[in-house]
Amino acid sequence: MQQLERSFYSKASMYSFFVVTILIFTMWIGTGQFAHVDMMLFGYLIGSIVFALGITGRMVSWSLRPATQQILKRSFQNLRTRSHKQRNIRAVLKTAFDNIILQKFIFKRGVYRGMAHWLLAWGCIGSFAITFGLTFGWMHFSLIDPETYQIVVMGVPTIKMAADGLFAELVYNGLNITAMMVLIGVTMALIRRTTSPDAKVTQRVEFDLLPLYVLLAVTGTGLVLTLSYKFLGGFMHPQLSLLHQVTVVLFLVYFPFGKLFHLPIRPLAAGVPMNYRETVDTRPCRSCGEIYSTDEQIIDVKGILAAQQFDLQLADGSYLSDYCPACRRKMRVMKQMNLEQPPKDPYAPVETMSGIQPPGFGRRRTSGEKEDYHE
Amino acid sequence: MNKIMYLEFERCIGCRACLAACRECGDHEGTERNYVDYVDFMESRQTFPMMCMHCKDPACARVCPANAIQITEEGVVLSASEEKCIGCRNCTFGCPFGIPKFDFDQNKMYKCDMCYDRSKHDIAPMCASVCPSDAIRFIDYDEMQTLRRRRTQLNLVEGRKPSEQDKWQYVPEFFGVYTD
Repeated sequence: MQQLERSFYSKASMYSFFVVTILIFTMWIGTGQFAHVDMMLFGYLIGSIVFALGITGRMVSWSLRPATQQILKRSFQNLRTRSHKQRNIRAVLKTAFDNIILQKFIFKRGVYRGMAHWLLAWGCIGSFAITFGLTFGWMHFSLIDPETYQIVVMGVPTIKMAADGLFAELVYNGLNITAMMVLIGVTMALIRRTTSPDAKVTQRVEFDLLPLYVLLAVTGTGLVLTLSYKFLGGFMHPQLSLLHQVTVVLFLVYFPFGKLFHLPIRPLAAGVPMNYRETVDTRPCRSCGEIYSTDEQIIDVKGILAAQQFDLQLADGSYLSDYCPACRRKMRVMKQMNLEQPPKDPYAPVETMSGIQPPGFGRRRTSGEKEDYHE
Repeated sequence: MNKIMYLEFERCIGCRACLAACRECGDHEGTERNYVDYVDFMESRQTFPMMCMHCKDPACARVCPANAIQITEEGVVLSASEEKCIGCRNCTFGCPFGIPKFDFDQNKMYKCDMCYDRSKHDIAPMCASVCPSDAIRFIDYDEMQTLRRRRTQLNLVEGRKPSEQDKWQYVPEFFGVYTD
């Protein structure tokens, strides 16, 4: 692997090369040695390949960060250990189902937000599946007899369906259904982003709103296209389809570089409970003894900090992450106020850094010049 | 943003108005993001307010596997962006000052953002605007420098002379974001 990597410019270029090769190979299989490439979708094909390149490059550079590398390593290590295999796999599946399929945690931030995000997410993923399936020729339809259609996936004939049946209608309108989901989701999200004062605090137009506008343009032009050929007898169809193609290609090219990039990195969340929460917190704070974390997580955090030259070791050899957050806050204040060490003379007033005596420490609080120096 | 947050722990009277004010801030959704704790409850009733230092190179952002903690152009370290945070809690253990909080229900981290919608317009953050004893202040950079200088002078009057090794111990805690 190392040798192979060295023959490429970088890790990112190696994986990009593989991804594109695999994509073209699957296309070669799916389209029967390029026998039925849909030339109408050629623009989408180019857009999808740029999309794949962008995603690969971003994913590789993201996974090279020390923190990400550490959690990835920990996840694979945990999946491989024999002793807790069943428990770990169950944890991953349960989290994936709750967090990615149902997106429960967003519903807890608000039902409105949850609905908007769920519709957006699954609308987009569904549209991606259909678009990529068709542009790379992974699936196509073939007519067996005048009444029956068959879906061919990767050159393997699969489901047969009546050409005007309910299932067939659902399949033909797949993109329309997902587009409607996205349209509703985008509208809900845009309404929230423009009216909610909470959302406005940190939102940025180019980061939070632009992807919504891009999605709106894609779904809008796509649905108008359907409108045109279904109800308007193909009114301006060539122009509209070109417009739709332009918006989709822009979307695909933008996807890996903006907010929408959270889609491919989100699945990492499925590993978190397995790594850090499946066992109850067991690690006691070094100072107060309160249980605040697990050993694995503290080892990981220390490793990540060390890899980035954060020197958070104290004089006694312990690290700041050995203490619970409350003790860490307290340590900072004690240091600041010179209260860390027990006083030499327990009856003498405490010497703080500033000369102001905290009340309760014996000396009278107001003693002339001490109090007026802020005036 | 030209102003900075100036904290004097000794001035805290433990009224917790800053916590109440923090809950009212935009985007905080009724949760406070700062702390008021006892220094040493067995010894005295002295409390201290605590909020994020907004480090230039934040450890919390460095230990985040999802790269979710972003820093604004003014230098404010924001809460983990909700779309990226995977809920691993690394930031709460990586932070040397124990600042980030974690919401297990919503599966996200949240921390002091210096009331970004206020402070980016040079308006005092909620906590600083309500503190009755001036333990938390939002002041000009120059004013902060004057206060630090006075405090150093006071230490000299008391006969404690800072040396090259520990001179920084003679100035009060200050943090915040400023452009020089």
